[in-house]
Amino acid sequence: MIEIDRVNGGYQDVPVVHDIDVKTEAGTFFGLLGPNGSGKTTLFKLMSGALAPMSGDVRLSGTSLLHMTQLQRARRVAVLAQETHVSFDFTVEEIVRLGRYAFQKGVLKRMSREDQAAVEEALEVTSTTSYRDRPFYQLSGGEKQRVLLAKAFVQEPELLLLDEPTNHLDIRHTFDILDVLKRWQQEKGLTIFAILHDVNIAALYCDQVGLMHEGRLVEQGTVDILQRRERLSSIYGVEAWTQPHPAVARPQLLMNPPDIKERSMSLLEDHQLTCTDEVIHLTFPRPLRTVSNGVAGEGVQWIRHFANFHVDHYYNSMSPKEDVETWLEALGCRKEQSLGMMTAVQLSQAEICMETLFGIDFLVIVTAGTGNAVDITNRQPELEPWHAGTINTLVFCDLHLSDGGLMNASMSAVEAKVRALQDEGIMDHAAGTPATSTSTDSLVIAATQQGERTAYAGSGTAAGKGIGRLVYETTRKAVRRYNGGKP
Amino acid sequence: MFSNKIVLCYAGSLLLLAGVITFGLFYSSVVIPVPHIVHIVVERLTGVQLLEEVPSSEYAIIWDIRLPRVLLAAGVGASLAIAGAAFQGLLRNPLADPYTIGVSSGASLGAVAVIFFQFTIVGLGAFTLPFISIVSGFLTLMLVFGLVRLSSRSMAVETIILAGIILSAFIGSIISLIISLGSQEEMTQIIYWLYGSVAMRGWSYVGLLAPFVFAGGLLLLTQYRELNAMALGEEAAGHVGVHVQRGKIVILGGASMLTGAAVAVSGTIGFVGLVIPHMVRLVTGPDHQHVLPISMITGAAFLVAADIIARTIIAPSELPIGVITALIGAPLFAVLLIRNRIGKGKAA
Repeated sequence: MIEIDRVNGGYQDVPVVHDIDVKTEAGTFFGLLGPNGSGKTTLFKLMSGALAPMSGDVRLSGTSLLHMTQLQRARRVAVLAQETHVSFDFTVEEIVRLGRYAFQKGVLKRMSREDQAAVEEALEVTSTTSYRDRPFYQLSGGEKQRVLLAKAFVQEPELLLLDEPTNHLDIRHTFDILDVLKRWQQEKGLTIFAILHDVNIAALYCDQVGLMHEGRLVEQGTVDILQRRERLSSIYGVEAWTQPHPAVARPQLLMNPPDIKERSMSLLEDHQLTCTDEVIHLTFPRPLRTVSNGVAGEGVQWIRHFANFHVDHYYNSMSPKEDVETWLEALGCRKEQSLGMMTAVQLSQAEICMETLFGIDFLVIVTAGTGNAVDITNRQPELEPWHAGTINTLVFCDLHLSDGGLMNASMSAVEAKVRALQDEGIMDHAAGTPATSTSTDSLVIAATQQGERTAYAGSGTAAGKGIGRLVYETTRKAVRRYNGGKP
Repeated sequence: MFSNKIVLCYAGSLLLLAGVITFGLFYSSVVIPVPHIVHIVVERLTGVQLLEEVPSSEYAIIWDIRLPRVLLAAGVGASLAIAGAAFQGLLRNPLADPYTIGVSSGASLGAVAVIFFQFTIVGLGAFTLPFISIVSGFLTLMLVFGLVRLSSRSMAVETIILAGIILSAFIGSIISLIISLGSQEEMTQIIYWLYGSVAMRGWSYVGLLAPFVFAGGLLLLTQYRELNAMALGEEAAGHVGVHVQRGKIVILGGASMLTGAAVAVSGTIGFVGLVIPHMVRLVTGPDHQHVLPISMITGAAFLVAADIIARTIIAPSELPIGVITALIGAPLFAVLLIRNRIGKGKAA
């Protein structure tokens, strides 16, 4: 357990850090964050013994670090500083062996078998065994850092202090170093106290983080405190966004670039719409914020090209996504900026509606095939193979929607679609009840992100009402067309 | 315990030392056969008579003239070389040696002052000159560090070398001043002393130097682990457990003691402390556990060899030994410098 107890300290008589209080359990990876000049390095030096605090105490498992001799401290605390230059042509192994200085006993201070075993283990863990006999100065930056980490590990410390251990390293080597650290932390119950400059790296690896600002520790806790974006924005002086990592339950930070004034875009005029028998292809001059379950380009994305491809009734592919991407490329669309979906419906039967409702521009495209219509509340799941008879709904709106706003807009569109199917009397033939959808419907909500940002686009808002009404009307027309009637 | 290479290094350097010492006793204007030399040395040391009928004139030449001279050269060479190795290790700079950082100049000034003013400190007697020499060497070192601390907080090694050179130049001018104030005779005496020589010193000088070589050498040899750790920088050395302040004082004190004593008995002899540790490191690697003792042995051998050259090359006259070490040492250092650069260029 490490306790920093009301520590004040600085250089000469000028205090740089004030009233630092930290308490972490043994085996914790504590990351110290903050902008340059916030006092991180000063606090680090107070902990490593390079500076004596003006007041306060630093305790490791109850023992004050400040009253230990160099030797006592070196047996419990290892330090990996930011930049270490090694003079002379010492080899990797010789450098690592230096870490055993504090453990050598007797008059001759020779390396014991225990010392050598610790060296072997550290070389192994840091994957530096293969170049143990090479001169240190010949190594690359990443290799050097691993060697210095091995030197810290052979001290078999309870506490490891790191000052920007991945400074100047590329992504791959950064992760290498941190993975090695994390593994050692978990295997040996090592407590790590690290200054990190990359907030996102800290969010991925730390158990606890502290935010320094102007010499004070203004926030500390689990990595979730990194979601306090107003705090981060004010500390770092840049506009920050936080969002969850897509694969692990940790926050990540995104920085806004300075505002770039873009020409405003008219949803209804500044697009290019091409309709053929093979594809309905809609292109905008710049990407729209999009949420969809399309075959290609699904999820929350920025999309410029929207394409609804016609496929044969008998289309059956093991890799529909690759197919759609191939077709998109044939249209000259980069797949990273494109969204593609497919339908067996004749594209001449598509319904396209452009309207301004409640002062908001909307563009809605629906292709409806009701051959596979199902009632979602029917209890019998029919695991049928993929059919092309689907309802594809594309909703474009001149709104600035947050991710929650996109979700609200999706709900509005789906509710309207269900109502349209019921009013058209579409049935789930297997269940004999009114259908709510087909088995493979696709939905796209795309917003221009112009104007006031909002999280609301449900049925209680103008945006939601507009979406609902237009999707309802357009779907009904499309369904009627599909069934041979007049729209 | 040690690799074959290291064992070979010790064996090789010791053999070299034994070889040059024997050669130094043997080779001169009066040729004395090696068996006689062995006999004389063994007889004087143990009283055992190996041979019969060794002329007593040979006793005088070997025991009273050549042996003390060779041993003095060996002692001075050993002192300067290990002091150089220690300075380089501590300051993490290959250019550091007793000369470049000013200790030698300071020690010379002390010695010159003693010669010039002809004074003795009560209780020290003949040890006055080495004592003053060592103290003034150490004081100069402190002055160098004071100057560095005033000019840069980080104690950059480049600044230490610069400060050393500045102080050396200043002290050199004071020595010149003292010389020019003296009589013609004193002037010649001091200048010749400054060039460095181990000639005609006799056993008393060997006796003077010996305790310092042992004490200073032992002091430095115990510090090899600290010197190795210092290669990481002082802060990082502290982090692995080195008591940096104490280590620095012991190392600087030991190296100053050796330099001061060497200068006191032989004058200023340059390049030994600079070149020898470099050559040794090329063979043994940078581990001070071996660099320090092997530098000592090799430095001793080098200076004995240099002295042989100094007294034979224009026989019957003699050259100052400092001239020889500089003539050999400077080009050798240039070669090492170039070699080092090329080697690093390849590796990069």
